[in-house]
Amino acid sequence: MRSGHTVPTLTPVMIAVWAAFATVPLWIEHVGLYQYLGVEVLIFATYALAYNLVLGHSGLPSFGHGAFFGLGAYGFGLAQLNLVPDLWFCLGAAVATASAGGTLVAAFISHRRGIYYSLLTIAFGQVFWFIAIKWHTVTGGEDGLLKIERLPVQLGVATVDLSHNVSLFYFVLAIFVVVSLLLWRLVHSPFGRILRAIKQNETRARFVGYDVWRYKAAVLILSAGLSGLAGGLFAMAQASAFPDVMSLHYSGYIVMMTLVGGGLVTFWGPVLGAIVFLLARDVIGAFTTGWMLWFGMLFVALVIYKPEGLGGMFLRPARTKRPEAT
Amino acid sequence: MSIIGLLPHLVNGVALGLLFALLALGFMLILGLMEQINLAHGSLFALGAYFAYAIATPRLPLPPDLLQAWAAAPLGWRFAAAVFVAPVLVAPFGVVLERLMRRTYGRDPLYGLLLTFGAAMVIEELIRIVWGTRDYMLPVPRGISGGFLMLDLVWSTYRFWAAGFAVIAMAVVWLVIERTRFGALVKAGAHDSEIVQALGHDLEKLRVGVFVLGTMMAAVAGVILAPVWGIRPHMGVDAVIPAFVIIVLGGVGSFWGAVLGGLLVGMVVGLAGAYASEWSMLSMYLLLILVVTFRSRGLFGKKSVLEA
Repeated sequence: MRSGHTVPTLTPVMIAVWAAFATVPLWIEHVGLYQYLGVEVLIFATYALAYNLVLGHSGLPSFGHGAFFGLGAYGFGLAQLNLVPDLWFCLGAAVATASAGGTLVAAFISHRRGIYYSLLTIAFGQVFWFIAIKWHTVTGGEDGLLKIERLPVQLGVATVDLSHNVSLFYFVLAIFVVVSLLLWRLVHSPFGRILRAIKQNETRARFVGYDVWRYKAAVLILSAGLSGLAGGLFAMAQASAFPDVMSLHYSGYIVMMTLVGGGLVTFWGPVLGAIVFLLARDVIGAFTTGWMLWFGMLFVALVIYKPEGLGGMFLRPARTKRPEAT
Repeated sequence: MSIIGLLPHLVNGVALGLLFALLALGFMLILGLMEQINLAHGSLFALGAYFAYAIATPRLPLPPDLLQAWAAAPLGWRFAAAVFVAPVLVAPFGVVLERLMRRTYGRDPLYGLLLTFGAAMVIEELIRIVWGTRDYMLPVPRGISGGFLMLDLVWSTYRFWAAGFAVIAMAVVWLVIERTRFGALVKAGAHDSEIVQALGHDLEKLRVGVFVLGTMMAAVAGVILAPVWGIRPHMGVDAVIPAFVIIVLGGVGSFWGAVLGGLLVGMVVGLAGAYASEWSMLSMYLLLILVVTFRSRGLFGKKSVLEA
């Protein structure tokens, strides 16, 4: 599609983000943190980027994304425990399970907008969460699936063991790089433009002739699949899959991360949000047990005074002219 | 299972439905009249239950002799005091929340939802800090607790009292909305805020009034439901979900929609409990998805700003 300007596949910001992450294992222990935190941040950054495809890039306020993350985690665990304990197969199973869940949800809610969209995603999120808790024979109930292993990466010629947090970190980083590149291309493609049109004015996008329903369904399924990928990685990192991540709380946390970081205005906002959220949890949590009290207040203040999030503070006013190239 | 066998489940379902409707009503007031989703509704509900516990047991920050005198009072008095005083104590939280939400009026309703989600997290954490994570039980006076035998079945007495109280509370709300000047102004303000302001009415005060009414409804529901569901920090989230299911089911902004939605959910959960008690709460979501698939605005919903 012709457009006023083209966005390069690789940008300096993108390379800087990847490079910065690549150095994390070298210094994270020297600043008093621990290697596993890096893994967690990257997993949630991937999840938040996938989530922002729906919230920030398409304007669809899903409040039940935890379901897809959780479906991915269970998909990974069940595939490993019952089918083939192969990393690529299990990650594929995670994506497939979450995409299937996304397809089911999308079929019901893609003609909805605004708050009704939120309310129905909450309802579907609760359904999946409830099933995860109650279907003991498959999901392990409240305890979840235990004994999920960190499978080695089979690269044909070589095999990399992921049992150490540093090697797992670099594997998750590789996935993060692929996912962020894919999403960057997607939101700057003609498909991404239509999503933006739907976000700005759904009715007008429909009148122009786009089949809005199909785009909204496609974007939810895609976002669900990638959230499931993050969920699969999380199951591997935690060595378990449990229903908590599907609860309304966790679905809200991912919204918090995405908004706090500035997902509504910048592509990388969700990544910043995931870092801030998890750091706040550990740092505030080190001083007081009620860290959510302080983070919740910060979040409320942000919604009131700075709804574009932390990412919005770093942007130059020039963004009003070129909202895409951030 | 025969029809007769199902009857107790149906009766319990209706009683539960009335309680659900009470729970949803405050949520509906704020949503229907102010077009704000208050996800902190459940947390205010939880606060009501905790305050009631503090008043009735009693665990209050009072001078020792005063506290002793109060503890010596019959449980019936203390319980009655809890029902009426706890909502008053929760009301200031509603005032603060409304003040915070003021900045989001006129913006995408999503911001109100996010703000109240943050507020819910804060209140839940406050509850954990003050009362800890353990469960509490609100004691019920002897006269209305226990059970009785009817048709060879044991029935919980308190559930019927609670359902009766729910009916009274709903009737009061209905009278306030439909039969007072305040209710008329609030409804007019929701319909056309500019004209109401042009006529010289203080819309800000009206909004605070609605929010406080909704908050107190949440707290009343918390007190009434506490002996049935127990008191624990995450009871707020457990409660706000059925409340919003009922609202979407009944239709946003409809009083009778909320009541009917509550009854429907109660009966479906009650009947589902007869066949698979483990899964009974799931039936509520399936009912919601089924209804809104065919009736997109719920049973009695009207078109509103929330769909934009």
